[in-house]
Amino acid sequence: MDAVVSTPSLRVALIGVPNCGKTALFNRLTGSRQKVANYPGVTVERREGERTALDGRVLRILDLPGTYSLSPTTLDEAITRDVLLGRVADAPAPELVVCVVDAVHMPIGLRLALEVKRLGLPMVLALNRMDVAKKRGVHIDVSRLSTELGVPVMPTIAVKRGGADALIEAIQPARWEHHRRTTAPVWQDATPEDAEQTQADLRGLLAAVGYTTPRESPWMARFDAVLLHPVYGLLVLIAVMFIMFQAVFSWAEAPMDWIDGGMAALGEFTAASLPEGPVASLLVNGVIAGAGAVLVFLPQILILFLFILALEDSGYLPRAAYLLDRMMGGVGLSGRAFIPLLSSFACAIPGIMAARTIPSWRDRLTTIMIAPLMTCSARLPVYALLIGALIPAKSVGPFNLQGLVMFALYVAGILSALIVAFVMKHFAGARQYSPLMLELPDYQWPHAGNLLLGLWERVKIFLSRVGGIILALMIVLWFLSSYPVPPDGATGPPIQYSFAGRLGAMLEYIFAPIGFNWQISIALVPGLAAREVAVSALGTVYAMSAAGDDVAGQLEPVIAATWSLATACSLLAWYVFAPQCLSTLAVVKRETNSWRYPIIMAAYLFALAYVASFITYRVVGALA
Amino acid sequence: MAQQILVAVIVVIAFAASVWKLAPARQRLRALLALDGWAARHPRLAGWRERRLKPRIQRAAGTGCAGCAANVGVRPHHPPR
Repeated sequence: MDAVVSTPSLRVALIGVPNCGKTALFNRLTGSRQKVANYPGVTVERREGERTALDGRVLRILDLPGTYSLSPTTLDEAITRDVLLGRVADAPAPELVVCVVDAVHMPIGLRLALEVKRLGLPMVLALNRMDVAKKRGVHIDVSRLSTELGVPVMPTIAVKRGGADALIEAIQPARWEHHRRTTAPVWQDATPEDAEQTQADLRGLLAAVGYTTPRESPWMARFDAVLLHPVYGLLVLIAVMFIMFQAVFSWAEAPMDWIDGGMAALGEFTAASLPEGPVASLLVNGVIAGAGAVLVFLPQILILFLFILALEDSGYLPRAAYLLDRMMGGVGLSGRAFIPLLSSFACAIPGIMAARTIPSWRDRLTTIMIAPLMTCSARLPVYALLIGALIPAKSVGPFNLQGLVMFALYVAGILSALIVAFVMKHFAGARQYSPLMLELPDYQWPHAGNLLLGLWERVKIFLSRVGGIILALMIVLWFLSSYPVPPDGATGPPIQYSFAGRLGAMLEYIFAPIGFNWQISIALVPGLAAREVAVSALGTVYAMSAAGDDVAGQLEPVIAATWSLATACSLLAWYVFAPQCLSTLAVVKRETNSWRYPIIMAAYLFALAYVASFITYRVVGALA
Repeated sequence: MAQQILVAVIVVIAFAASVWKLAPARQRLRALLALDGWAARHPRLAGWRERRLKPRIQRAAGTGCAGCAANVGVRPHHPPR
């Protein structure tokens, strides 16, 4: 067992049941902007932050995944237990534990606090969400609770400025330096007798502090009657998703036109201002045509995330998980897979990591393997480009046709994930049924501040990608598309004689059966770094193919004029399946601790993508 | 000729940046650690490395392509299954 390292700073761990506000408190204490949401299982790995104490010393604050007990059932809960016990490499046991308890639902959090107290680590209890508790008529005698537990109890409101001042005062290093342990704590999993004893202690404690249960809001029950109904609930879920994709196309049109026009004007201005030569070509065809082609999709990405953030904050998502549990169970998935799969709509990586909340290894592996089939936000520019180019922006009844196609593509991703899960279940044989146990959070209006902050983070991330890896790759691609220069007397566009042109011609042998031309084949290569890079690459490649004509901001009409419907549909099918993201494969290796699974994942996704594109190309080609 | 040289420099920088950005975070951290001897001779650049570059790479480790993973780049803990 590792010994606790004594340092001038103080290591403080935040622990509590899922969705009690640990990360909000962590953000308040450290000034971080870690992701918070109104559902359990957002934090699946420890995080570290720092705060300078009043005496100038450093508080090293650890945010740990939520757990109901120190006898874990899932990987993320095991991380919390192991950090507390000092079993994790590079993370000595904390010297002070802040046990965060949701004041509204105090019994469940207090039960964990009793277990943590048994470890013998110095502890402060943060009674969070006191404002909501008061509103809902919860009574707690805080000073009595402190006396009964024998630890300081500090009321907090993590989401409010100044809401953690009392806690900050209570965790000053000077107060705790004499309480440091010299050995790491020891924990033995609770026997049934221990569990009964803890339950009895809890009942006694609740009676002593005069805890009263929260008043149930009548509208909350009415909401649940509809949203958890097996038929109406499902209809609401489909409607929510449907509206989301309609909005992605309808609301984004004007800002996209502004960006598009801005990039085209910038391209023309640059071309007119600079003398003809490699610098002008690099800026116009490489930088502006490449980066501009993907920048135009920022409004659509922001609208998608506005919906996702609002749903996360509202408390609706766990209800959707409950609703889909039976359907997911039918294809061999645990209901707990819903949240990881939903996270994968933003990016597969947090989704794969969130699969740590699934207790069964086999269920977790299935969830990891199908997470890339959920349509991540990086696919949005590819889908939007092809839909914008080939699907007319007309209405079908009250609906926008482009939005309908986008919705269909998302549904195709979900359905294929369910089919793959079913096949995996079939091959894996009998599987132990793991029922969904999920605490449904209270409904709340999404905080405008949280939404704006979340969208601002998204803007920063997107722009840093466009100005970082996408820009760098486009400059390299411009070079590969420009050199060597064509020989004297060459008649075709210069790109055909370049490194990229030759590579594209070679790749075309592989991709011709699925309808991809050499320009698409080239774009798929840098697109392996991240999916949306393919859009930039198409921008650059077509700008170079146009032999000097400016196509910055005009990729859609070029595609509409030069691609067949079968080719565009085939590329859409390719992007529904293809694992065009190296980071995802790296995280699968990290999470499964083996190269076997990322290799299997890449192989099966590429095979699926090729077969799906082949069938799509042939069928659409025949019909058209 | 000046244009050719300028473009060559930009392309080399872009190529190096692409390789660096696409390398796994652990490799990038390892590369930074390998520069300890160099850092001793250039304290100002070493300070930038410690204050800005290293935390950025650590944050990038394990985060999603959209930067939305809920963790920092800590080594994953794999308890026995």
